Amino acid sequence: MPVHKNVYRKNFSLIVIFLVLISVTFVVALFISYNLTSKYVENEFASKKIEVLEQTIKPYNEFFQNKVPEITSYQGFLDSASAAKYAASVFHDYAFVKKITFYDVLIGSKTHITVRKNNLDISVKSVYQYWYQGHRVHGNKQTRPADESDFKEMAVKLSNYIAFSDTSRVSSQDELFKTFWDVKPDKITYSNILRREDVKIYRELQHHNTVSASYKQNMMSFQLDPYLLKVKNSRHELYQTVSIQPVVYDPVDSQGDKMITEVSFPGAFSDYKLFFSSEQGYLTAEINRRFMPIGAIVLLISLFLVLIAWLIYRNLNVNLKLFKLQYDFINNFTHEFKTPVSVIKIAGSNLRGDGELTERQRKHYGKILDEEADKLNDLMNKLLSFTQLENKSITLKKEEIVVDDFVSRYTETFKIKYPDFKLHCKVSGVHIFYTDPVLLGSVFQNLIENAYKYSHPQKKELNINITHEKRNIVFSFVDKGIGIPKEELNNIFKKFYRIENQYNQNGSVGLGLAFCKELVNFMDGEITVHSKVNEGSEFIVTLPYEN
Amino acid sequence: MLGRLRYLLLIAFIITLCSCKNKVRQIPIIDFFKTPEKSFYKISPDGKYVSYLKPYKDKQNLFIQSLADGKERMATSFDDSSVRGDYFWTFNNQLVFSQDIIDFDTFKMYAIDVSTFKIRIILSQEKVRVSLVNRNKQQPDLITIKMNKRDPGNFDIYRLNIKTGELTPYLINPGNITEWFPDADGKIRLVRASDGVNETILYRPNDNAPFKTIIENNFKNSVRPIAFTGVKNYFYALSNVNRDKTALVEINAEDGKEQKTIFSCSKADVLYVDYSKNRRRVEFAAWEEAKPRKHFLTPDIESLYHNLEQRPQLKGNEIRVIDRDSTENKFILNTYTDRNPGSYYLYEKNTNKLTKLGDINSGLVPDELCTMQPIAFKARDGLLISGYLTLPLGNKRTNLPVVVIPHDDPWRSRDSWGYDERVQFLANRGYAVFQVNYRGSNGYGKSFRSAGFKQVGGKIQNDITDGVHWLIDQKIANPKKIAIFGGGFGGFSALYGVSFHPELYKCAVVQYGLINFFTYIKDAPPFLKPYLKMIYEMVGNPETDADQLRAISPVFHTDKIKVPLIIFQGAKDQRANISELNQFVRELRKRNVDVKYFLKPNERAFFRSEHNRMEMYTEIEKFLDDNMRVKP
Repeated sequence: MPVHKNVYRKNFSLIVIFLVLISVTFVVALFISYNLTSKYVENEFASKKIEVLEQTIKPYNEFFQNKVPEITSYQGFLDSASAAKYAASVFHDYAFVKKITFYDVLIGSKTHITVRKNNLDISVKSVYQYWYQGHRVHGNKQTRPADESDFKEMAVKLSNYIAFSDTSRVSSQDELFKTFWDVKPDKITYSNILRREDVKIYRELQHHNTVSASYKQNMMSFQLDPYLLKVKNSRHELYQTVSIQPVVYDPVDSQGDKMITEVSFPGAFSDYKLFFSSEQGYLTAEINRRFMPIGAIVLLISLFLVLIAWLIYRNLNVNLKLFKLQYDFINNFTHEFKTPVSVIKIAGSNLRGDGELTERQRKHYGKILDEEADKLNDLMNKLLSFTQLENKSITLKKEEIVVDDFVSRYTETFKIKYPDFKLHCKVSGVHIFYTDPVLLGSVFQNLIENAYKYSHPQKKELNINITHEKRNIVFSFVDKGIGIPKEELNNIFKKFYRIENQYNQNGSVGLGLAFCKELVNFMDGEITVHSKVNEGSEFIVTLPYEN
Repeated sequence: MLGRLRYLLLIAFIITLCSCKNKVRQIPIIDFFKTPEKSFYKISPDGKYVSYLKPYKDKQNLFIQSLADGKERMATSFDDSSVRGDYFWTFNNQLVFSQDIIDFDTFKMYAIDVSTFKIRIILSQEKVRVSLVNRNKQQPDLITIKMNKRDPGNFDIYRLNIKTGELTPYLINPGNITEWFPDADGKIRLVRASDGVNETILYRPNDNAPFKTIIENNFKNSVRPIAFTGVKNYFYALSNVNRDKTALVEINAEDGKEQKTIFSCSKADVLYVDYSKNRRRVEFAAWEEAKPRKHFLTPDIESLYHNLEQRPQLKGNEIRVIDRDSTENKFILNTYTDRNPGSYYLYEKNTNKLTKLGDINSGLVPDELCTMQPIAFKARDGLLISGYLTLPLGNKRTNLPVVVIPHDDPWRSRDSWGYDERVQFLANRGYAVFQVNYRGSNGYGKSFRSAGFKQVGGKIQNDITDGVHWLIDQKIANPKKIAIFGGGFGGFSALYGVSFHPELYKCAVVQYGLINFFTYIKDAPPFLKPYLKMIYEMVGNPETDADQLRAISPVFHTDKIKVPLIIFQGAKDQRANISELNQFVRELRKRNVDVKYFLKPNERAFFRSEHNRMEMYTEIEKFLDDNMRVKP
């Protein structure tokens, strides 16, 4: 039937397409993220060299910005002893300083090394050299200074500053740097910075040149060795080797498979550069390391998507089953209604028939009509009350019932109805009970009916025990029927659920137990079941025992 | 319900009452640091007019008040530059004055006739500085001035006729004369020469004779001539030659020998002598112990002062006659206390009438200011050190936050009893203010002063530290809330304190601080050998004591400073090395020290602009508040 096809349709191709799509996305995402990571790593390789440079050059900057200007703080009063102490502190802190030359300079008097410019004498009183060897600072006085080009150059600058600087304002950083510093490859020469007051005095000296006294000025020249700089490779993962090389260093050979980059040193080290190189495999390892977490995240997202899809699929499946149940129910119900209706139809047509009816026939048809109408009525009542219950549109009508009488009424009825049914009833501890007799009656009827229906023909037995437990009244229905398989125990109270077996081929719609549960719940009680296949089941109804 | 409401009201009332009682009104900063309203009072020699300076358009201008009818007239209306405080009356009712020098291009001296109020220029010279040496009663139009016209480095003495503007040289300076002591008739027979350290007193019997040296002193001794006594060729002088504490003596000008000691005090140097040119007599000698003291040498002046001191409005005030008319009938008085910046009074002797002329700062109420108590403690080596403690108003006498203010200029100055706006400002803000006259301070005698030689960064600093410990031991100071605040050498003391006693001070305020002693020494030009020698003896020799100087100069010890700092500096401060200070601040900041740094481009050591001064003290208040009010 085409209807059935509609009901059971499951589009496997859709699922397959979905899975394929997810897999493709997964792969593509992995691919793209890997590429991005490798690009990123390559960029870092090119850019992070600045960080390494900064780390490496830090002592130099400190030296340049703090230690060298400290000379100014001595205001020209350094002599060979204090200069040696200063030199020792420099050697101690800054390993890249190889040699220090100290010029004890006089302004305004002449010695054998004198620069005279702008009518002012700037001369060297003595020259000392300090160097570091074997953890000791050595120093000596240069008796015959060979090369004083450093001094001469500085002296000219100094002289020009004294002669031409603007003393009405503070000199700018730039002016000071150009005058008191001389930064050459591998060498820094520094002279203590003059205050404006000093400049005025020296200018006076320049104009008059009469005062015999001379002013002290300190000049120091630092020989630096870039190879003594400690390379601080703060990015080991990117740079396999970092080395200090002359600025012209450019190896063409053997670097084919290597990534290389370089950055020049500033200031006095500008003839040198930091040279970085890494083998391709070294970077690949780093790319893989960085890619790992990204790949894991992509995988997780994909798995999550699959999980969501499976959950949706499962929900759809459950709905499908429910739909099937309702469909079955309508089928069953139609069938249920059909049987009495067709019987009535036959009886009716027989009654309308041409032949005379005997008294016995008439009574027979009457009985049939009556019975079938009752059946129909019963069916309809069931359906109606169930719907009512579900919608909570009925109310409890509590009455006082005598338990013994109430139970015996049902047992008697069933004993008459099913002569082969062994019904026993035991009431202990309870006599009077307040409840809605109609609803409780329905529960009794259904449970007794079920016990009969699901028992082997020879073992149709039911024991009803009614006891009083704490605040509850407990109705226990123990039969020796076919029992319920464990896996079905959870389902039997569901609507339209029927265990498929030979006992319920006819006249069952799968509403009975669901109806019972609804009723009991409505009366604030609960219903439970214990069962063993082929040995029997026990339904226990617990209701609150008021009074 | 009503009962409870009443109860609540009562509580609220009590709370407000208590808070009123304990809360001291915060006086606005401007009231402490504004420019004085009326100042530089002078009386005309005939006693008919009083003149003074008063701000007009933000500049000090000259005002004249007639004493006959009390009318006040503005004599000048300069809005470019203030009238200088060294203006003077001549004996024929002319006022001679000049303006603050803006640039050195032109110097002008003006005269104003009080009967016409006409201003005329009597002297106009390029690139000079001029000041008065003497005015003459006999020749009122002829004044004696000193002027560096011939040589910018040397002042010569001229006679200036203010009627004609005629200028005649009188005494040419050979190069080292720094002070002239004119007779009443304007003749100069006594001069002082100095090479910056060593002082020489020279004398000549008359204008035609050459000067000859009579006394020679090095920087440890001093002789300050006052005037000729009129007997023989004796003159009064303040001298500490052959004694520890400066005394008032009489010296024979012929041979420089001391004739007699007129007055000496065993406790302190005589700092000041009031000399009447009219009567050619010394009236009193003044010195400072815990408070300013006077010794009267003439009975009529003594009774005058005693009379004034009995007046209810002057009770407890320190009184000084600052000017008088030529008949010595009308006197201008300046009075002050530690809680009063000062007032000017006119006193008429014949009628015994005292009239108030004005207050220096009428915005301040003495009752809202705090008293300055002299204190003394023993330093660790047993030397008695004195100082002053100003406690904030209120009943609290213990566990107070303290600001220590060590003074600037050792060997040349000291802290004295009297009104000090910095101290009062801080005390008003709830701080106890502590001032120490550490060894090396002036006024306690020669040995105390020389005890400070070569003790910068040594015993001088120990004295300050000992003072703070003494305050803590007295339970006055809250040991967790002590700040140190100073300018110049005081700034050095502050930086030294936070560098070497970081546990003692919570924060430091530094104004134009001395951060490097090499720089300080460099201020002594090498051709001034004696001056250099003095500096070497007082501070240290930069070559032989280099290690010691390096050890104490804050600029080399940025690593030792951890507490918050606030630093003020004028960029035009000639003695400061701004790039060095910048470097110092940069280095401190690099070490994560909380440094607030204010470099004012158009200021020197002291901030002249009222706006900058306000800003400075606002910042100081905030800085101290942030660092001292925090719960320990």
